[in-house]
Amino acid sequence: MTLLEITNLKVHFPVRTGRFGGNKDVLKAVDGVSLTVNAHETLAVVGESGCGKSTTGNAVLGLAPVTAGKITFEGSDLAKLNMSARRRVWREMQVVFQDPVSALNPRRTIMQSIAEPLVIHGFPKTQLNARVEELMAFVGLNSDQKNRRPGALSGGQRQRVVIARAVALNPKLVICDEPVSALDVSIQSQILNLLMRLQRDLGLSYLFIAHDLSVVRHIADRVAVMYLGLVVEEGATADVFENPIHPYTEALLSSIPIPDPSMRNKRKRIVLQGDLPSPLYPPEGCPFVTRCPIAEKECHSVRPQLTETSPKHKVRCLVRSPQ
Amino acid sequence: MLLSVSDLAIKASSLSLVDGVCLDVSAGQIVALVGESGSGKSLTALSIMGLLGEGLIVSNGSIKFDGVDLVQATQQDLRSLRGDDLAMIFQEPVSSLNPLLSVGEQVAESLITHRQASPAQAFLEAVEMLRRVGIPQPERRAKQLPNELSGGMCQRVMIAAALISKPRLLIADEPTTALDVTIQAQILELMGELAEDFGTAILLITHDMGVVAELADLVCVMYGGRVVEQGPVQAIFAAPQHPYTRMLLQTIPRMDEPTKKELFAIKGNVPSPRDWPEGCRFRTRCDQVSEACLKKPELDGATHSVACFNANSA
Repeated sequence: MTLLEITNLKVHFPVRTGRFGGNKDVLKAVDGVSLTVNAHETLAVVGESGCGKSTTGNAVLGLAPVTAGKITFEGSDLAKLNMSARRRVWREMQVVFQDPVSALNPRRTIMQSIAEPLVIHGFPKTQLNARVEELMAFVGLNSDQKNRRPGALSGGQRQRVVIARAVALNPKLVICDEPVSALDVSIQSQILNLLMRLQRDLGLSYLFIAHDLSVVRHIADRVAVMYLGLVVEEGATADVFENPIHPYTEALLSSIPIPDPSMRNKRKRIVLQGDLPSPLYPPEGCPFVTRCPIAEKECHSVRPQLTETSPKHKVRCLVRSPQ
Repeated sequence: MLLSVSDLAIKASSLSLVDGVCLDVSAGQIVALVGESGSGKSLTALSIMGLLGEGLIVSNGSIKFDGVDLVQATQQDLRSLRGDDLAMIFQEPVSSLNPLLSVGEQVAESLITHRQASPAQAFLEAVEMLRRVGIPQPERRAKQLPNELSGGMCQRVMIAAALISKPRLLIADEPTTALDVTIQAQILELMGELAEDFGTAILLITHDMGVVAELADLVCVMYGGRVVEQGPVQAIFAAPQHPYTRMLLQTIPRMDEPTKKELFAIKGNVPSPRDWPEGCRFRTRCDQVSEACLKKPELDGATHSVACFNANSA
């Protein structure tokens, strides 16, 4: 069952450039992205900084302006909802951000932070205390910490508070924007295990935004790889990781350092030349053409379409996917 | 031995932050200092450079660089070493560069300061160095300000500035953490090449075991302000002796194991220096703890050393 459907989403920001800001330009952060998240499923959106993955998540949450395209949640178009209907949708859709320090109000106690969404959505006051304690136990926090403030907690514990607050209203979808990148390595796997357990127990769906591919491989059912505001490859996690087709996905996978010194110099690594082009002035034709090791002449002028190379595995490449 | 740190202790007033660190780097070697936040790895590096912040003091031990004890050295001695024989690059390339000076001038600076080169000559050499670290069109780029360059390019500029005086030791504090993976791969390759070409020794500070496996010759694992294990990179990865090292390696999601399986996790939290337990500082999170762990374990062993009473029993 489709829970969230993003169709041809565009998020463009007007910017002023030039020495005195005299030129008007358009930054195309997201430029035609279509994605679906099914119930009880994890869809990971991966890519490097500036590829538009966070902006996509923000647009779903209503935190970034939608220039064009449609976002539907359980079949209803978010842009057409009135305020009371939108409030209902917001209950079903929650978010966990990267940095648990700035996501929590330092002057509020843990109790107050976790209770906030419950209070806003009219949860009975008499049961509030019990519900917060239940949630804290659920995410692995000791309930005697409920009167402490975020400053007294470690990074991993704070992220547990943020997660408890996100699941307080029994949402259907949680958007996780780099939920473990700010945490110590020994804590990351604790939080990933917690997210996987919550998904099993509560039937959650995740839109999981991340740059760390080894984490994504572990947690996602499906993966969409973004580059310069476009999805360049999408498919089941196993397909994309074992049989990457787009040259960018290949390079991305081969640049992950392998934690095994005996593999050093043994594997063939594709080191991309150059940097990500500015999203203000993306290349004509294929967005990846400036760094692509297999680019051909027509790639400089023709923009490739996302097409299926095998069932449910889509690739945007003139050379490797049928156009 | 090019650098020899022995029994180093760093304190903030009465609070101990680094305790009994021993570390050797010989010429041309790449040594990785691995640890999580609060392990003392960055403080150890800063104390070598003589750049500890206000309120932090080296309370014990020595740091011998080419026979000279840097702990006893005057600010003037240190200043003549920094940027010449000793260089450092930081995690945040953009904020580590001066936003008002062209990148060429910043790369050239150490030649003017330490080698009495003329600004014009130094600038020419800086352009060559920028070319060497893989910056396209270095003549044009050298005249630009840092904000006109991407993060990956700024990190190349930092590396160029650090290496132009052919330092004997480069300290790299999380040099690729702020960069994207495809750029990280470029920078790691570059650092490996340059260390070989210039014979520069590197002290690499990182939390990423993947980066360690790609680049290091020797590994030194820190936890709670102390070294818990030290040895050649193959030995550390193939047969970790300390439970912390072993568990740290186990937590990495591997690319060859089944997905959606529960990941191995180390229980508990990384304690802050105020909450370090007596005796072995990892014992509150360890799965092999015994009575003996209430005492402080000493680092023991020759080439591969470990500070644990129950090492090897795994």
